[in-house]
Amino acid sequence: MRLRTLVTLAGLATVASLAAFSQADALQSNRTYKEVVLTVVVTPSPAPVGFVPFARRGADAVLARNDAAVRSVTHGGVALAFDPFANPLQVAYDPAAWDVAPGLGPVEIAQAQAQPTPVPVQFVAKADPNAQYLHVIPHLAELDAGYGSTTFTCAFEIYTYYTTAYTLTDWGYGTSKSGGSGSFPILNYAATSDLAWQVPDLSATVHNYNNSGSPGETTWTGTAGLKQQHCFNITVNVPATEPAGTYTATIQYNLMTS
Amino acid sequence: MRATGAALALAALSILPLTALAQQTPATGSARVNYKILPYVKAQVIPNYQSGFGPSGGLGSGSTPAVGAGATLGGGTVDFGNVVVGYQYLYKYAAQVNVQTNDTSGFIVYAEGATDLEGSNPTPSPSTYALFETLYWLKSVAGNTAFSPATSFSATTTGTPLGVNGANGISYAGSPPASTEVWNSATSGSLSQGYDYELRLSGAMPTSQFNVYIVYTVVGN
Repeated sequence: MRLRTLVTLAGLATVASLAAFSQADALQSNRTYKEVVLTVVVTPSPAPVGFVPFARRGADAVLARNDAAVRSVTHGGVALAFDPFANPLQVAYDPAAWDVAPGLGPVEIAQAQAQPTPVPVQFVAKADPNAQYLHVIPHLAELDAGYGSTTFTCAFEIYTYYTTAYTLTDWGYGTSKSGGSGSFPILNYAATSDLAWQVPDLSATVHNYNNSGSPGETTWTGTAGLKQQHCFNITVNVPATEPAGTYTATIQYNLMTS
Repeated sequence: MRATGAALALAALSILPLTALAQQTPATGSARVNYKILPYVKAQVIPNYQSGFGPSGGLGSGSTPAVGAGATLGGGTVDFGNVVVGYQYLYKYAAQVNVQTNDTSGFIVYAEGATDLEGSNPTPSPSTYALFETLYWLKSVAGNTAFSPATSFSATTTGTPLGVNGANGISYAGSPPASTEVWNSATSGSLSQGYDYELRLSGAMPTSQFNVYIVYTVVGN
């Protein structure tokens, strides 16, 4: 009977402590948040270079001979890019046969241009009162990635500080477990993200970005009054099916405080 | 007998009309005429070109952006108003480029800043801030947000700004650099393209008023 009571009390204590911690988590509120916008430019990989010899036949062979003849045409000792007297034959011609005579110096052909009145742009930049708690230091706003996996060292840094204990969390902007608008490279739940992060100051682990919206994943935690600033290494994985182009990755970083 | 035949032939010739004789003269030929038409390119840029123009975004900044006083429908300034450092903004219907050309090869439109962002009121130190990776452009479509893929403007490095801070445009020795291309059309005619602008403010940006002139240059292909 005594043993059973002890087991029961221990169980109640465990449940109570779990409830307390869960409540603490739930009590954390979003003190401020920032969107980190990365431009991912996917460039086609260079095609492999090879030499495939082939034999010219028939009309191709004639063309080849004409090519050779054109290459041999010169005017005043200067090789011409093409033969102005090649077929069809010109029966009559003026001594100045070229619109732009092949000369020794560079020749510019005038092109029609227009330059309308410039567009004036203006804004008034105001200070961010929350920057003392959370701000982003961008280093590489454009990530030029070929197909496959590319890692960008210290693409940006994040600074955090708060007077009480805090947690920095993140998720792909616009993503959620019930749909969302996530697209390449962060994608959306339940697809695996093509964008990953690592904070080498804190861990060697590389994490795929959370793509299921709030509450996201923990980036790091901090004790009361702790100021932290860390680099983020970003890895972009470009699948072979992804067309070349410019993409945007937007990550929301949240400073959760209690 | 021979004299009689000759006389008959002469008589026959004499009764033929003169026009028939003329038709027998082989005086036809061909001529190839090459002529050229001077191509022309005309262009206009209209700021705030459509109702509903102005800024949005600033997600997380705690303030709602509102268009500045310098913006008017169909003209004025692309005025983002007050924006908060560290946040991103979208300016709808910032500028529309209209091009008229008879060049059958079409045309290319280039755009770049006459200068970097010029700070004033209060004047920051240094007085300018990089335009590159601060102000972006994208073609105007309904679904654009402050996070839509966009291309950064740059301050010119090959041209000479004309007027105060480039208010009168940019002088180029040739064409603007290919990297500043914003529109390439392969057809002639009268064509239009609208653009939205994005502002992505780094946390390191000083608090100040910033101005810049975006210069569009249209070149026939």
